[in-house]
Amino acid sequence: MSVIHRLLEPYQPTDQDPFDAVKAAHLLNRAGFGGTSDEVEKVRKMGPAAAVEWLLDFPDQGAEGQNPEDVPNFASIDGFPKSFREMREAMRGKSQEEQQRFRQMLMRGNREAMGETSRWWLNRMAFGPHPLQEKLTLFWHGHFTTSFREERSAWLMWRQNELLRRMAAGNFEQFVKGISRDPAMLQYLNNNQNKKGKPNENYARELMELFTLGIGRYTEDDVKEAARAFTGWASEGDEFVFRRGQHDDGVKKFFGRIGNLDGDDVIELILRHPACSPYVAGKLFRFFAYEDLEPGIDASLGQVLRDATYDLRPALKMLFRSKAFYSPKAIGAQVKSPIQLVIGTVRMLGLELPPLPLLQRGLSQMGQVPFNPPNVKGWPTGEAWINSATLFARYNTCVFLAGGNVPGAGPRQGPLSDGNPKPRLRAKFKPESAGTAEETVDYWVSRLIQRPIDAQKRKVLIDSLGEQAGDEETVRRMVQLVVSMPEYQLC
Amino acid sequence: MQNRLSTRRLFLQRGLALLAATPTIPAFLDQTVMAIANPLDAPRVQQPSGKDGKILVVVQLSGGNDGLNTVVPFADDTYHKVRPGIRHDPKTLHKLTDSVALHPNLRPLLDMFQDGKLAVVQGVGYPNPNRSHFRSMDIWQSAQPEREQPSSGWVGRFFDNACAGAPGATPDPHAGINIGPTLPLAMQGERVMPLSLERPEAYRYRGADRKRYEALNGIGSPADARVAHGAPRQPSTLDFLHRTAMDAQVSSDDILRVTQNYQPAGVNYPRGDIGEGLRLVAAMIRGGLSTRVYYVSLGGFDTHANERGRHDQLMGRFAEAVAAFWSDLKGQKNDERVLMMTFSEFGRRVAQNASGGTDHGTAAPMFLMGPAVKGGIVGEHPSLTDLDHGDLKYRTDFRSVYATVLQSWLDTPSKTILGQQFKLAPVLRV
Repeated sequence: MSVIHRLLEPYQPTDQDPFDAVKAAHLLNRAGFGGTSDEVEKVRKMGPAAAVEWLLDFPDQGAEGQNPEDVPNFASIDGFPKSFREMREAMRGKSQEEQQRFRQMLMRGNREAMGETSRWWLNRMAFGPHPLQEKLTLFWHGHFTTSFREERSAWLMWRQNELLRRMAAGNFEQFVKGISRDPAMLQYLNNNQNKKGKPNENYARELMELFTLGIGRYTEDDVKEAARAFTGWASEGDEFVFRRGQHDDGVKKFFGRIGNLDGDDVIELILRHPACSPYVAGKLFRFFAYEDLEPGIDASLGQVLRDATYDLRPALKMLFRSKAFYSPKAIGAQVKSPIQLVIGTVRMLGLELPPLPLLQRGLSQMGQVPFNPPNVKGWPTGEAWINSATLFARYNTCVFLAGGNVPGAGPRQGPLSDGNPKPRLRAKFKPESAGTAEETVDYWVSRLIQRPIDAQKRKVLIDSLGEQAGDEETVRRMVQLVVSMPEYQLC
Repeated sequence: MQNRLSTRRLFLQRGLALLAATPTIPAFLDQTVMAIANPLDAPRVQQPSGKDGKILVVVQLSGGNDGLNTVVPFADDTYHKVRPGIRHDPKTLHKLTDSVALHPNLRPLLDMFQDGKLAVVQGVGYPNPNRSHFRSMDIWQSAQPEREQPSSGWVGRFFDNACAGAPGATPDPHAGINIGPTLPLAMQGERVMPLSLERPEAYRYRGADRKRYEALNGIGSPADARVAHGAPRQPSTLDFLHRTAMDAQVSSDDILRVTQNYQPAGVNYPRGDIGEGLRLVAAMIRGGLSTRVYYVSLGGFDTHANERGRHDQLMGRFAEAVAAFWSDLKGQKNDERVLMMTFSEFGRRVAQNASGGTDHGTAAPMFLMGPAVKGGIVGEHPSLTDLDHGDLKYRTDFRSVYATVLQSWLDTPSKTILGQQFKLAPVLRV
């Protein structure tokens, strides 16, 4: 055991530095998708140690394993062929034109099912029982990236999503072995085409570059040898199959080992590489705490991961309890991802999930559609989410969610409008007891931004209420201004 | 132009009025507002990006375009031997010379070549090629292969050097415009933040209270003792958001105005990203924006499997869009002002793989197009047999091409931007 980095030691609340509503809200933002006022108060009372235990207390199971009813609506792909063999059967005896029409029907159904799966997942993020499990699932979706593009089967994307959920805080070695057998992944990174004598290097390369080690920790020869070890790892329908005839049984040399290595051997050797656990730990830290991490944090957190033989929970617990996590460097300093922004707004305003087409369009303009990351590196982070166009999309989306009467927006123009400019909202725009303009502004700022704001800006918001602090429409407009503030883009 | 400056000044004057009541002025506004408030600074801001200036349009082909199936070395037997499933039949190609020819769907580029308006630089790459998409794209975009984590791009550094105005002045927010969802590293500089947009209609604030929205995005930032005491500090993420919001607001009106209902007579842009992107660029050029560099991308070139169908389709879309763009610019009489340059992060392996596709490779051709181009074939084609790990050995460093574009087209010393002086490539007439 080595010494723990001082910033990873547990934060201890004191009178000068109490675990207040700001810190409780911070924990709920990062380890979930934002807390309502009640949830923030509940977590504040629990204190950091108990709150982190509570957040990490979820079963290592998919949603279906937790509740057999909790599955996306796959009605649109009922009875569709699930493998090449079934597809051939279905095509038999059809004319070319019929086959074409049949394919188009499959594609339409599959797209609809993908939309349903997105809705199902976003709904779990917003209202599911285990926010941290969903947040981790989103993290892993950006890490072990697979995309729906190229008309990948919605069924396979859902199965992979459940794998990510099941393993979200499980054992990383089992996770890598699982994802290396995941049919959607095997398709996405072309391992289905990786055959003896005719290797396809795509999976082997990204496994090391993006999933486990980071660039520069291996040679081009390592990529070639690892690709040979993964030959024959393929999928048939929604099952993993090992195609013995396509597997290269020859001697490979990888990371100092020589022998008839297969994919699991390669994974075990990679995980033993000293760069692996700091790489994974550092990526978790950057995602949940902050990007500009101090030297040694990734190594120290990586050691915790390794000491636990790659069980993820101890490292996650340390991260969410650490001094670093509750430092000013972390709190309110992260640019919300578009999904965080939308789901957080839905939660904090107490809305229903908006209709899917509206959600998808808004998320697409902001640059984050579930199941459709831009490339194998996953989504960007931090300031990379922001440019002049995405900033407008973010403001407009939030204004719309806050009941914005979008001016001049005809059908199919506004970020979330779809000829249906008013969202169905349950939001009430008055605090329980109508107070002064100052009290009204403070109430909404603490509910939405959850941190104190600049005095000048507070005054602008107060002025916007004028003498109308009790009028719902006036308050709604003020709330629309709150969600159009740069501060609201951060959590 | 006049319109833009007055919009900006109005905006900033309003901001300034609000600031008068603010005890602490955030560092970024301190600089920008104070600078613009001084009328002597205005021409300095305007000068480097005059609207009659020369324009560069960068077209990025993302995913690793297969150079050997774009500019095909059809006379080389090796090409046909190692690519039995994906090779092109010489009869279908558009011959440029006795040895190389354009992809069957690049017919419009053949016309440009014959008019002397297309230069094909062969075998472009860099030493110690990297076969990761991200690393190699970073290298091409930053033009700093020695940096592990580059923070600026070559176009961004050009903006910093040539379009930022005098120290303390407000950089022109129109200097660079990217069409697409994310701003590429190539366009990122330290001082100038280029614009990035996908659809002009979505490019404006739609809330009701625009006045207060501007105030909330322009003034104030968390009280920072160091600012109050006038000491410089690192710009925070909040400063960055303020600045982005400000640039967005200033540019949104202009861009909407010039792109709305832009339908050039007799020009048909193909549907899809690249066609729509180049149509917007043409609209903005016609609208007289002061932009020096536009950036558009076409993705989908990562053809590990079943390459032919997809690659053929991409080539077709690219060529149609480019043809429409040049015919549009000619109609506008703006073509003389424009240079187009294409690149991809790498080419692909010489030999096909077992999936009817190709894996990540190295050197590939670049296209330069426009009336200013010295048309023809530049550089030697890399050998298909003298390989490095199954990949082509590059002949021309991509930074030579950048250096030429910077010096001869954008009138900027290239050494400042590229870190060293590269030999210029004979691709421009100017």
